[in-house]
Amino acid sequence: MPIQINTAIKGKEYPPYAVTVERGKIKEFARAIGDLSPFYLDDTVAKAGPWGDIIAPPTFPITFRDENADTSLLLRELGVDIGRILHGEQEFEHFKPIRPGQTYLCRLRIADIYEKAGKSGPMAFVVRETTVTDSDNDIVALMRGTTVVRL
Amino acid sequence: MKYAKLYAEDIQVGSEMPPLVKPPIQQIQLTRYAGASGDFNPIHQDAAFAKAAGMGDVFAHGMLSMGFVAQSVTDWLGAGSVRKLGVRFAALVRLGDVVTCKGRVLAVRPPKNGDGLSLVDLELWAENQKGEKIITGKATAALPSRA
Repeated sequence: MPIQINTAIKGKEYPPYAVTVERGKIKEFARAIGDLSPFYLDDTVAKAGPWGDIIAPPTFPITFRDENADTSLLLRELGVDIGRILHGEQEFEHFKPIRPGQTYLCRLRIADIYEKAGKSGPMAFVVRETTVTDSDNDIVALMRGTTVVRL
Repeated sequence: MKYAKLYAEDIQVGSEMPPLVKPPIQQIQLTRYAGASGDFNPIHQDAAFAKAAGMGDVFAHGMLSMGFVAQSVTDWLGAGSVRKLGVRFAALVRLGDVVTCKGRVLAVRPPKNGDGLSLVDLELWAENQKGEKIITGKATAALPSRA
């Protein structure tokens, strides 16, 4: 029997949350991927570079989490066990580099929830969109992720 | 080191990105990525959990593979060059798998914002050691001109 999920959260906007980017987290993230670019890791090289400091790798905003807007909360709201989810799609748009020491505001909404039959049975697709703005209220990055739920 | 490794004039439609071959996936890398990213889903760490969930064994975070794909672009076109990156996760990456990221240029668009940066559209994909696609996607990167 496929499980039922709570689709009522489609369109929900979560409380905006602030994230301050730590220098060490940028480096830890780049090293975890095995991307050893000096523009992520080397303060001296990066200081002489175009941004005057290290910047974050393109997928770093995925680390912008908050307990009032994270996957654990989403799963509780959907009524889904974590063992049922897979990452279906992910997209980033970048407008300004993400820098250490900066505080960003993240706004997350559930853009869509839909169900369809997959190869291995019925699936639900939950699309989350996050807008990341800086202290000038400029959009720095947009994220759009699709989580697949095995029903 | 300069901002980008290449200039817009160095790129033509159909140009192939140099493949990026990553080391075999090890459990320690998944644990490290969990800590770095904050994604502690036990399905990437705990074989018994993954098996009970019907997935057979642990598998890599999709975002780790997407990080590899992002690296393949920035290794070629420069850190800070990526304006857009979108992927579909096509197959699971398992322990021991060797991921190779590949791509080719779909379009080169001349500067129009007054920032002097051309936009390079790429088709991207990543394969495992059996040649199966584990990611398909697209990216747009901004490149300065030589002039």
